[in-house]
Amino acid sequence: MRLKYVLSEVMVGLWRNVTMTIAMIITMAVSLTMLGASGLMYLQVDAMKDAYYKDIEVSIFLDAGVTPEQVNQLQSDLEANPLVREAQHETKEQAYERFQKLFADSPDLVKAVQADKLPESFRVKLVNPEQYQQIFDTYKDREGIDDIIDQRRLLEQIFSILGAIQNMALASATVMAIAALLLVANTIQVAAYSKRREVAVMKLVGASNWFIQAPFVLEAVVAGLLGAIIGFGALVLGKIFLLDGSLRDLTDLLTPVEWSTVFLMFPFMAGVGGLVSAGTAWVTLRFYLRV
Amino acid sequence: MTKTYPKASRPSLDSVSVSIEKGEFVFFIGPSGSGKSTIIKLLLHEVTPNKGRVVVNQKDVTSMRSWKIPNFRRSIGCVFQDFRLLPNRTAYENVAFALEVIGKTKAVARRVVPEVLELVGLGGKEHRYPHELSGGEQQRVAVARAFVNRPLILLADEPTGNLDPDTSIEIMRLLDRINRTGTTVVMVTHDSNIVNQMRRRVIEIESGRIVRDQARGVYG
Repeated sequence: MRLKYVLSEVMVGLWRNVTMTIAMIITMAVSLTMLGASGLMYLQVDAMKDAYYKDIEVSIFLDAGVTPEQVNQLQSDLEANPLVREAQHETKEQAYERFQKLFADSPDLVKAVQADKLPESFRVKLVNPEQYQQIFDTYKDREGIDDIIDQRRLLEQIFSILGAIQNMALASATVMAIAALLLVANTIQVAAYSKRREVAVMKLVGASNWFIQAPFVLEAVVAGLLGAIIGFGALVLGKIFLLDGSLRDLTDLLTPVEWSTVFLMFPFMAGVGGLVSAGTAWVTLRFYLRV
Repeated sequence: MTKTYPKASRPSLDSVSVSIEKGEFVFFIGPSGSGKSTIIKLLLHEVTPNKGRVVVNQKDVTSMRSWKIPNFRRSIGCVFQDFRLLPNRTAYENVAFALEVIGKTKAVARRVVPEVLELVGLGGKEHRYPHELSGGEQQRVAVARAFVNRPLILLADEPTGNLDPDTSIEIMRLLDRINRTGTTVVMVTHDSNIVNQMRRRVIEIESGRIVRDQARGVYG
């Protein structure tokens, strides 16, 4: 009976003030969509880092006039270096073969480049790709070395773009969340005001505090959860129409976003939406329903 | 005990000490602003004294934890000058509401509420809304709501303030009957007629101090 009472109070509360309820749900949904998107982005960047950093290499390009002794010396030095997992020497011929393969669909380019124009190099895999700078410092001044290039640098530019998008999503999620919180607080105040007579009687006859507050808190939680469901729907649509639709080429190039990752966002969004609304409602009631 | 409201120049109640026995019927009288209503608020723990203690039913209300207050209030019934009924509920629903919000089932309400409405003389009017009842009848509903939990104490803050003399006397008969069941009744009033007719203990307060405490007293 008490549960039924509380639930019917929640429904009545949401209906009584339906425009405010809708506004609350919409802002909550937009905020949670942004939050979900940035969460997705965060997991995605992580997955990409895992996928790419495994194969990442530091390329040490050698001077054209490097001597075989210098090459051998560098080879044994690299192999002795504890930071290096694997060092592979690539001769001019091997470099040319790879070049041919890489640009197989542009034969003009392949024809224009002669085999001996490509530099000899070492392809170095590091134990920890973050320690590129130490490798660079150790070898940059050595005789016979032309240039040292870290593939990580190139990837990091992509990651920093993704990071910026993620920060933007988080910032707009925060701004929308503040709006949502104020709307929750306002809705609860209005609800508490419109039920002030009931609340006064309940206090007078000794209804417990949770019983007085539960309908209001649940009202906010229901709105928060509805917002999370709508926000999750927006994420699903985004996955179908954007990631698998118009941005298909881009997502194929990078790591594709899995459905499982998208679904992982729902409990996250619902949890944040529900808890934040409940917290706001509870704090608001502290001020408006003094015992 | 002493109670000073914030921003007040003098205490609402100044070093007042009263002891009321179980089953007594007590009037607090005095002019407006003398501090009578503060007594009710203190007994309900709506306000707390600045100095001293309020002990109800052997429990120190002053130091009571806030989460225990709702349960404490269940042992006290309350009636006010303005009735404080819920306008969108019938007489029956108003009384049943008081039961349901403290966790009693609908079945209990169905058994107890008609009984208590009968007791206050509203048999047959259970399904009237407050605006369909006279002032006296509304106050009877309020008394029924206050009494339905069989409280140990009934507090009445000028319960006849909005009623004509004849109706007032009917309400007083009702309170008297409730008192005879063993319930302590504490009533704040400045209705001299009623006090004079009832001839019960009278405590007079003026400017926050007790100036008279008389068994079987009359209004000044």
